[in-house]
Amino acid sequence: MPLTITRTLARFEDCCMVEEALSLLEFLKGRKSAKVDLSRCTYLHSALLQLLVVGSVKIVALPTDPLLARWVGRVLAERHPEHLAQPVQIAR
Amino acid sequence: MTTLLQRFIPESREYLESASAGLLGLERNPANDGLVNEVFRAVHTLKGASGLFDIPALTRLLHAGEDVLGAVRSAQMTLDSTAVDLLLDSLDRVSGWIDSLEAAGALPTDADGISARLSKQLWALLPSAGTAAKAVAVSLEVAPPPDWLADLPLEERQAALNASAMDGANLQAITYTPDDGCFYRAEDPFHLLLQLPGLLSLSVVRRDEIALAETDPFRSALAYRAVAAQPRSEIEQLFRYVIDQVVIATIPASAIDPIGLEAFVSPQSVGTNCPMAARILSEQRRIVALPGADTALKSRIAAVEATIASLLASLDWTVPPGELAAAAGDACMGRPERMLGLIAILEARARPARSESESETIAADPADVLIDRRAPLSAEARHPGRILKVDQNKVDRLMTLIGEMVVSKNSLPYLAKRAEEVYGCREMGREIKEKYAVIDRLAQEMQRAILDVRMLPVSEIFDRFPRLVRDLSRRLDKQIELKVIGEETAADKNIVEALGDPLIHLVRNAIDHGIEMPDQRVDVGKPEAATILLRAFQEGDQVIIEVSDDGKGIDPRAIKLKALEKNLISEDKADSLSDQQAIDLVFLPGFSTAKEVSDLSGRGVGMDVVRSAVEKINGTVTLTSRKGEGTLVRLSLPLSMAVSRVMMVEVGDGLFGVPMDGVVETVKLPLARIKRIKQAEAFVSRNAIIPLVRMHEVLQTPRGLVNETGEEAVLVVRIGGRTIGLVVDRFREGIDVILKPMDGLLAGMRGYSGSALLGDGRVLLVLNLKELL
Repeated sequence: MPLTITRTLARFEDCCMVEEALSLLEFLKGRKSAKVDLSRCTYLHSALLQLLVVGSVKIVALPTDPLLARWVGRVLAERHPEHLAQPVQIAR
Repeated sequence: MTTLLQRFIPESREYLESASAGLLGLERNPANDGLVNEVFRAVHTLKGASGLFDIPALTRLLHAGEDVLGAVRSAQMTLDSTAVDLLLDSLDRVSGWIDSLEAAGALPTDADGISARLSKQLWALLPSAGTAAKAVAVSLEVAPPPDWLADLPLEERQAALNASAMDGANLQAITYTPDDGCFYRAEDPFHLLLQLPGLLSLSVVRRDEIALAETDPFRSALAYRAVAAQPRSEIEQLFRYVIDQVVIATIPASAIDPIGLEAFVSPQSVGTNCPMAARILSEQRRIVALPGADTALKSRIAAVEATIASLLASLDWTVPPGELAAAAGDACMGRPERMLGLIAILEARARPARSESESETIAADPADVLIDRRAPLSAEARHPGRILKVDQNKVDRLMTLIGEMVVSKNSLPYLAKRAEEVYGCREMGREIKEKYAVIDRLAQEMQRAILDVRMLPVSEIFDRFPRLVRDLSRRLDKQIELKVIGEETAADKNIVEALGDPLIHLVRNAIDHGIEMPDQRVDVGKPEAATILLRAFQEGDQVIIEVSDDGKGIDPRAIKLKALEKNLISEDKADSLSDQQAIDLVFLPGFSTAKEVSDLSGRGVGMDVVRSAVEKINGTVTLTSRKGEGTLVRLSLPLSMAVSRVMMVEVGDGLFGVPMDGVVETVKLPLARIKRIKQAEAFVSRNAIIPLVRMHEVLQTPRGLVNETGEEAVLVVRIGGRTIGLVVDRFREGIDVILKPMDGLLAGMRGYSGSALLGDGRVLLVLNLKELL
């Protein structure tokens, strides 16, 4: 399962494709502040990224993949700087 | 290069040529509907064919051309010379791409951008596009740096400047607005952008403010903005499938100027070409970027600061007050970005503004760009190997002519003989024979060359099988691997073409009936994936094509039972059949072994259809199978249908030809060895009883030669699995003949497959033994 959802946390693993969008949306809908853990995510589909942008989410951890982390962090930082649990290091 | 592509290339050249010629004709006479249709068809066909390959730039451009031509065809617009120019431009472009496809197997890197620009221009011609669309199209050509650049964080703008100053690369701003349905087309914009090399900035904006609760998660609702230090063509290539959703703008350094330097630079120095200053500045940049954060850093930065200050003074340039000092202060604290950005800006000023002037040519005038980029297509690059497409009738006529020549050259030995015997001139006879040898050699070479023209590789038909096997195996849940060997083997066009249907039938049979389900295969210890082998090779003057599988094979007993059930054979006969003979029963008309008629095979037409199709082109089919191990079907076919080799025999006062492929041997049979069994005659040869047939009785000719030698001339032939001895009067030599089928009044005559003309003018009747006996 690329997307594991517990009560307050959605954990992304491996390749997270567009198929997960519906379950992610369901998860985000129900919650005021939803936590998202991307650390094991290696591929994040635009549909999921888009939900993270629109929804009010707290990113607990960025992906370990540096490229993915840099740009996911960049995109989310601009939209919701206040929702990031920790400052995102923009790697150079 | 795939064979498909190999065929596409010459074909596309033809279409391009006819389209260009048609366009030129149209320009002179725009009302010619026939020409419009012709050009439209050529472009349309070419577009369709190009869709088979991964060359979207080419397909898109042709598509745009097709749209314009379609509008012309339906009288929505008329072709003026601007439109013709544009269309011809596009066709030239496509033709250049075809050359590059042939040479390099891919389109040039700038193809996607050119294609996008040209097709936009073409679409702008359409009446429905209107003036507004035209304006949009033109503005897309010269997209100015987008406003959002100013919103980028300072450090990103500095990084972008650094990148452009360091590598001299063009900075491009990409605004990518995927349409709503892009997820359904398996597009992934974010992922696509991550593929962008030299990506320096990436941000998104929401295209609407729909609340989360109402969001459709499968509708793309973001627009993406990116900055990358890459040549425009590379970016266009990456976005080639979505290029209409992307706006790429080349960014001049001033547009991302992080410190507003622009305003402070004295006007007279703008665009100064000052290579010395540029060199000094790039050296400063290298020094600032040196690693190490010790005490040496401070003095290094101080030196850099001093150098830049004096440089500014000497050039009479100014920067915002305090900027240099602030940048130096940051740099001493280990944050050199500001300093680097400043140097980059100054460098961009000092240099002959390469990146900017380049971007200006791209942006300035689309027409100029086209002319500019067409130049590299030099004249000699444009003359690739041509393929001539010839009407088949013309080749056939050549074939008949060379056949007649072969035959008439055969009359020379007769002439030589007459010179000797009738006119008593041996010398003359010998000279004629010498000349004959030369003509003979030439005629043979010519014949071979003409035969070659008609030769096609069997890959023509083999190419369709990977797809067929894939589709069928998916449908039946079987795992099948198709192996193809010897697809380059060539045979006459008619033969290759006639083989298509029988082969499809055989492969379907193998998949449907031959190969077991994966679990059954595992149960009997075979690998889960079955193999179907298609093999073609040449053997003597025959082409052999084999279709084999490692499936369950054919059970001879099941075949016998089935044949009995269908009253195809009698019970006694069934008992006496060997296994191989039983397997051969599948060739009987009306035989189908599958229990249920599926839609894949076994529709009542079975192996008998295969056999008759193959026999029609003078081939044979054999089927061998071992229960549990698989089945092998072997088709042997003549290389060419044009020339057949026959054995001549004399019967009575006539001369007859017997097709050589049926002849087993010739025997001089002493009368004493002929055994009489009731009315029939037979003899024993190699431990087999061979029935004898007296040909003069069959052909109803008077018995010519009275046999004085006490021997009969017996031609042993195999017809349809039986061996028969034909008693003839005399054997003659074997010759190559061009077989002409019987026509006119003789067309319905049974027993003859045709006639041929002999060198001395006599007509040779070629027997069809199967019909005759």
